[in-house]
Amino acid sequence: MSMAISRRNFLLATGAVGAAGLLSACGGNTAASSTASSVASAPAASADDSLALTDGPVSMTISWWGGDSRHAAYQNAIKEFESEHDNITIEPTFAAWSGWEEKMAAAFIAGNAQDVCQVNWNWLYNYSADGSKFVDLNTTTNFLDLTQFDQAALDACTVANAQQCVPVSMTGRIFFWNMTTFNKAGITEVPKTLDDLKAAGKAFQEKLGNDYYPMHLGAYDRMILMVFYLESKYGKDWADPITSTLNYSEDEIVEGLNFIKSLVDDHVMMNLKDYYSANSDTATHQSNEWITGKIAGIFEWDSAASKYASALDDDNKDGFTVGEEIKFGDFNGGFSKVSMGLAITKTSQYVAESATLINFLLNEEKGASIMGSECGIPASKAGLAAAQAAGAVKDLVADANSKVMAFTTNKLDPLFENNDLKASGTGIYQEVFDSIDYGDETPESAVSALLEGMEDVGYTIG
Amino acid sequence: MKESKAPAVGRTPFQKWLDKYQGLFYLIPWIIGFVVFKAVPFGQSLYYSFTDMNFFAKDVHFVGLANYITAFTTTKITKALIITFKYAFITVPLKLIFALFIAYILNFKIACVNLFRTVYYIPSILGGSVAIAVLWKAVFSKDGLLNTVLRFVSFGLFKGPEWLSDPSYALWIICFLRIWQFGSAMVLFLAALKGVPADLYEAATIDGAGKWRQFFSITVPMITPIIFYNLVTQICQAFQEFNGPYIITNGGPRGSTTLISLLVYNYAFKSYDMGMASALAWIMFIIVCILTIIAFTSQKKWVYYSDER
Repeated sequence: MSMAISRRNFLLATGAVGAAGLLSACGGNTAASSTASSVASAPAASADDSLALTDGPVSMTISWWGGDSRHAAYQNAIKEFESEHDNITIEPTFAAWSGWEEKMAAAFIAGNAQDVCQVNWNWLYNYSADGSKFVDLNTTTNFLDLTQFDQAALDACTVANAQQCVPVSMTGRIFFWNMTTFNKAGITEVPKTLDDLKAAGKAFQEKLGNDYYPMHLGAYDRMILMVFYLESKYGKDWADPITSTLNYSEDEIVEGLNFIKSLVDDHVMMNLKDYYSANSDTATHQSNEWITGKIAGIFEWDSAASKYASALDDDNKDGFTVGEEIKFGDFNGGFSKVSMGLAITKTSQYVAESATLINFLLNEEKGASIMGSECGIPASKAGLAAAQAAGAVKDLVADANSKVMAFTTNKLDPLFENNDLKASGTGIYQEVFDSIDYGDETPESAVSALLEGMEDVGYTIG
Repeated sequence: MKESKAPAVGRTPFQKWLDKYQGLFYLIPWIIGFVVFKAVPFGQSLYYSFTDMNFFAKDVHFVGLANYITAFTTTKITKALIITFKYAFITVPLKLIFALFIAYILNFKIACVNLFRTVYYIPSILGGSVAIAVLWKAVFSKDGLLNTVLRFVSFGLFKGPEWLSDPSYALWIICFLRIWQFGSAMVLFLAALKGVPADLYEAATIDGAGKWRQFFSITVPMITPIIFYNLVTQICQAFQEFNGPYIITNGGPRGSTTLISLLVYNYAFKSYDMGMASALAWIMFIIVCILTIIAFTSQKKWVYYSDER
């Protein structure tokens, strides 16, 4: 029997072939929210006495991002909470950071985010600038003790006159070094000055070869170091933390870009092109160069210490060391910020129970001692005391955090971490630093792209 | 709809009605799915493309053709469009040729042919995944498998290019991933090759035609409907490609692998600018439609159907 194909059968089989799928992903619901108003200017709301714990069965949800050890800590703490409140069951949702913000943004839009959400600080501005997504926690003080937190940290989480989240921890950037490699290069002390950094670059190149670098920074990390350098030099915030008005002139930013370029030219940092050729866009701690000690330093969030330390191979693990903040000028550079917060979504039916859970995780002895430093050094005074008493605060993280908090004086504006600027692959920061490292632009010509990109996301450029 | 040929004698009006329309009931799940997941978003995206719709903005304003004008006047987007065309024009012909070549070989009676068919199909199952990203980076990194082989065969004289960081090579890495996943097209070609009547080959052999002549004068014309089908589907898929560049290069280096689908994703889910994302999706839809129409129009000249004389 002939199996040759007739036109009719062919058209029947292929009739719907087209590109409809390309379009169907772009439909969605219109969301309601609005532009930012910022830190509180009206009196804080008082406790809502109508909130009460439910006697009957309660099934609530919580979400967070993180690594395995954080997942375990949350799950153990939840188990403990459930045993204390036997009418409450909690369903957790958790994953690694990659893709998490997109997932949560979609949930906020759809109104099906979890009752309690671990939130990034700038999410308050990005997703709830009008206070439409998260409950004002000032109304929950019958269940959540806000007095355990510094007022400055609470203020940082106050957007649209509402305490939209409670700070879990504070964080900032600091250098971490792999001293095993530094020792091989004949360096026995962590770099403390810019000259030390440049001397390390030279020593690495001469004694270990061109494949070894004192540190590596991705584009966003470079931007943070550049701001750190400029703040250290000029003693002013990168931008006004409320209005996002840029405090630096074009010439000053060019100086900052030239500073980063000089670190690349002096073999302190790996050229981004060289990094991509071996790793594409793989994160530094997952790169072969970091694991084997060829890249011997980073400038990272203090809470990232464990992640980078545990990624090192056995030959290098013991050399992981918390460095010192480096003063590049007359001032202390760098900023600290709320690392993450816990918020209650306005769609939650169990606000009182959610507040009770947050209080358990952050303030109460049992919860805080289980959570330890898995989300950074606890911002809650009671939580920190409980975690320390239980020996649940990792020395590495505590050491890094104390150095950051003692050193940094500047404030961060919420637009600094805007996705259009910091996104890997397409963000303006990456565009700028890639273009310089590829030799397509000079710092003098690249600065305009940076300023234009910043203006596009809402910065006021002087 | 054609009426059922079941005997109508003695049937109640309800049964007759059921005979007439029950087919529709079977279609309802598909129709609901189509309306909810395709038709409605399809219409919504068209509407959004004429607005400044943003997930986190309170108001939506009609902006006319502004998004479309921006699309064609923004360097980042026009560059992505050009790269997408390059990607499609590289991958579609090469994938079809490669799939046909392998299918032709696997159509012979050779030992372990089923094993080979399975092995060649496996890459299509893998699709775009983390495992593939790891594999591709291991093969194409500076000191990866490919450069190691190149160094070995050139006795160390040739170091090999920086595949992942050089903008002039990176697109080829992504193209190669797609071409490597030729299994589905190969299976269709294989089915078509088996459908070519054997008596045509016998007649050609008697007439003295060699294998090459038989291939180009019998095989290819007889399987042109499947070539055409594969061509259309591969064009559609190539213009919608997302996974490869997303997982391997994230659009880099220097935007050299930023296909338009990646920009749609970034506008929609990183910047939440659904207006722009929808406009880009519609631009791609129109381009794919035009290419599909060209393909359908041209088939009169080169596609052979057995029921036509």
